[in-house]
Amino acid sequence: MWRALAAVGALELRTRLRDGTALVIALIVPVTLATLFSVALGGDDPPLRATVGFVDLDRGEFPASVRREVAGSEELKGSVTLRDLPGREEARRALDDGGIGAAIVFPAGFSRSVGEGRGGDVAVLTSPESPLAGVVARAVVDRISALVDARTLAVRAVLKAGVPGDEVKELVERNGAAGPVPALEDDPLSGGKVDLSVHYGSGMAALFAFFVAGASFRGLLTERKLGTLDRMRAGPLAAWVPFAGKAAVGFALALVSVCVTWAASVLVSGATWGDPPAVFAVLLAHVLAAAAITMLVTSRVRTDAQADGVIMVVSFVMAFLGGSLVPMHSLPGVLQAAALLTPNGWTSTALTGLAGSGAGPAGSVGAVAGPVAVLGAIALVAGGLAVLGMKKGTLL
Amino acid sequence: MTASDPMTTPSTPPVPSTPPVPESAPSPPALSCRGLSKRYGDVHAVRDVGFDIAPGEAYGLLGPNGAGKTTTISMLVGLIRPGGGHVRVCGVDLAADPMRAKARIGYVPQEIALYPELTGRENLRFFGRLFGLPRRALAGRIDEVLDLVGLTGRADSRLKTYSGGMKRRINIGTALLHRPDVLILDEPTVGVDPQSRKAILDGVERLVGEGMSLLYTSHYMEEVERVCDRVAIIDHGRIIAEGTRRELIALVGGADKVELSLDGDLETALAKLRAVEGVIEAAMTGAASIRLLTEGGRYLLPALITAVDGCAAVTATQVIEPDLEATFLHLTGSTLRD
Repeated sequence: MWRALAAVGALELRTRLRDGTALVIALIVPVTLATLFSVALGGDDPPLRATVGFVDLDRGEFPASVRREVAGSEELKGSVTLRDLPGREEARRALDDGGIGAAIVFPAGFSRSVGEGRGGDVAVLTSPESPLAGVVARAVVDRISALVDARTLAVRAVLKAGVPGDEVKELVERNGAAGPVPALEDDPLSGGKVDLSVHYGSGMAALFAFFVAGASFRGLLTERKLGTLDRMRAGPLAAWVPFAGKAAVGFALALVSVCVTWAASVLVSGATWGDPPAVFAVLLAHVLAAAAITMLVTSRVRTDAQADGVIMVVSFVMAFLGGSLVPMHSLPGVLQAAALLTPNGWTSTALTGLAGSGAGPAGSVGAVAGPVAVLGAIALVAGGLAVLGMKKGTLL
Repeated sequence: MTASDPMTTPSTPPVPSTPPVPESAPSPPALSCRGLSKRYGDVHAVRDVGFDIAPGEAYGLLGPNGAGKTTTISMLVGLIRPGGGHVRVCGVDLAADPMRAKARIGYVPQEIALYPELTGRENLRFFGRLFGLPRRALAGRIDEVLDLVGLTGRADSRLKTYSGGMKRRINIGTALLHRPDVLILDEPTVGVDPQSRKAILDGVERLVGEGMSLLYTSHYMEEVERVCDRVAIIDHGRIIAEGTRRELIALVGGADKVELSLDGDLETALAKLRAVEGVIEAAMTGAASIRLLTEGGRYLLPALITAVDGCAAVTATQVIEPDLEATFLHLTGSTLRD
C-alpha cells in the first residue's frame, strides 16, 4: 500500500513541479509579496509622528514619573508628544477627531491604591487609524503594570508582617522595591516596526497556504473528471490512497511555502518572528487548518473550476478577516471578533504575540498552545466534514 | 459467393457457448454476480442482475443508454457499493476481499482515463506501480504491453499528441499491465476510426483466444456479435435475455432470406428450389433473381445450387440472417443507438 501511496505522491509532486504551480504559488509569489509589503509599508525608519493623550485624574507620583520618563526619552524625542487632557471623554473625542493617536488614562486614586497594596488599572485608548501610537501607549502601560505588580506584592508582604500602614511606603522603597519610575529602556517603537514586518510576512504565508494546499485537493476533482480517479479506485489499492497521496504533497508544499516565506521575511527585514519552535508550531497548525478547509471546499463543489473560484474567495475572506492583509487592529470591532472564527486570525494573533515577546515564557511554545489548539480544532472539524463529503462525492 | 453483411460470414470459427471445463477440476467463474441492484432515490438503476462469465469466455452486455450497463460495471469493479447482491471474481468475494478481487480485474473505462501530460510509457509506469508490479519486472511488462497495443514507436510521446485510436489502445493496454484474469471493456471503440477499431477488436479477440475472460459493452452490435460468445441484453436495469447469438436470434423466430441471381430457366429453377428441404417460401423478384425464405440459409446454399443444376446457373448469392439488432429491437422496443 505504501508503494501505491508513494506513486500517487510522486506523480502529484512531479505534476505540480512540471506545471510550475508549486514554484510560483508556493514560493515566488508569497515571498515577493511579503517582501514588497514589508519594504513598502514596514520601513526601517520610525514611521510614527504621534500625539498621545495623557489624562491624569490621579495627580500622584505614578503619572508624574511617566510624564518625566516620556519627556526625557531619547528614542521618543521628536516622535511622540504627550498632550494633557482633562478627562476620559475628552480623550475619546480627541481620538475620534484624530487630534491624538492614543491616550493613557490614570484614574483618580491610582497612586494611593498601589501604595496601599491594592493595585490599580491604567486605561489605554487606541484608534485604528493610528496603530503605532497605540503601540507606544501600550509599551508605557506595560512598564507601569510591571511596577504596579511589584509594588503591590511588596506592600502586601510588609503589611502581612505587621508593619504599621504609615511606615509601609518608606520601608518598601528602602528595601528595594522599585519606585514609580517606568524606565523606557527599549525603543517602544520597535514593537510597532516588528509588528508590521512580521504582519505582512505571516499574512502572505497564511494566505498562500490555502492556495498551495487547495491546489492538491482541487487535483482530485480534475482526476475525477479525467476518469483516472475511478481507474485508481478500481485497482487493487485502498480507496484512501489517491486522496492521501495528494493531501500529503499539498500539505508538505504548503508547509515549505510558509517556512520559506518566514525565512525570507527574517532575512529581508531583519526582524525576528520569535522563538523558532513556537513559530513553527503555529505555522504547522495553520497549514493543517488551511488544508482541512480547502479539503472541505473541494468536497462540496462539483468541478475543479468551481473549486478554484471558491477556494480563492474563501482564502481572501479568511485573509481579510483574519488580519493577513490588513492589520487586525485596523479593523472595526465586529470584524476583529469575526477574526477569531478564521485560522488566519489565530495565526496572526499568535505570531504577532511571539514577535513582540522576545525570550522567556511569553515567547515559548507554551505561549502559543491556545492558538495552536484552536487551529487544530478547526482542522479537525473541517477535516471531518470534508471526509464525509468526499466519501459521498466518491473522492475518497 | 458474396456477402453484403460481414457479420453473416464471420472470419473466426464459431465458438461454443460455454468453454470446456475439465470435469476433474471445476474452476469457479472468472466473474460472477448475483442479485445486483442499485437505487438512486426512487430510480432503480439496476435490478437483480446476475450472470457468470467462464474462464476464457467473452460476454457481451448490450443495452441502450440509461439501461444500467455502466452502473452494473461500476458495481462489478468496486466503484459503487451495490444496494444488494454480490460479485465474485475468480471465486473471491469482492465485498469481503476487494484487494484480491480487484487484482484479477482489468478495467477499461469508457473515457481515456490517463494523464494527457505524461507519455504513454509514463502512464503505464504509474499505473503499474499503483497496481503493485515490482519495479524490475515493470519495465519489461510495459514493453510487452506497448508491443501488444502497437505503440512501441510512440511510447515516449506525450499522450495528448496521440490520435483517438492510439489513446484507446493505450487505455486498454493500461488495464492489461497486471495480467488480469478478467478484462472489462466499457464501450472501447467509441469515437475511433475504422482502422483503429479493427486493431482493437483484433487485439481483444487475441486476448480472449489466449484464455482471458472478457466483459464487453458496446453500442456497436457487430462488435458484440464478432467478439462475444454470449450476450446479455439489459434494459431498464434488468437483464431481459441472455444466451448465444443464435439463441437470442431464435427468440425472434425469424427465418433467413436467401437472394439468388441466376442465368437460365428461372421457372423450372423456382419449382426445383421450392422442393428443397428447409425452403419455406420462394418467389421470383426479377428477370434473373429469386428470393427464398429458409431455415439455416447459409448451410442450405450447397443444396440450393445443386437443385438448379441443369436448368440454371447461380451467378451470385446473398444470405440475410436475422441479427441481434432485430432481436434487440424486438425485446426492448428501441434501437441500441437511442
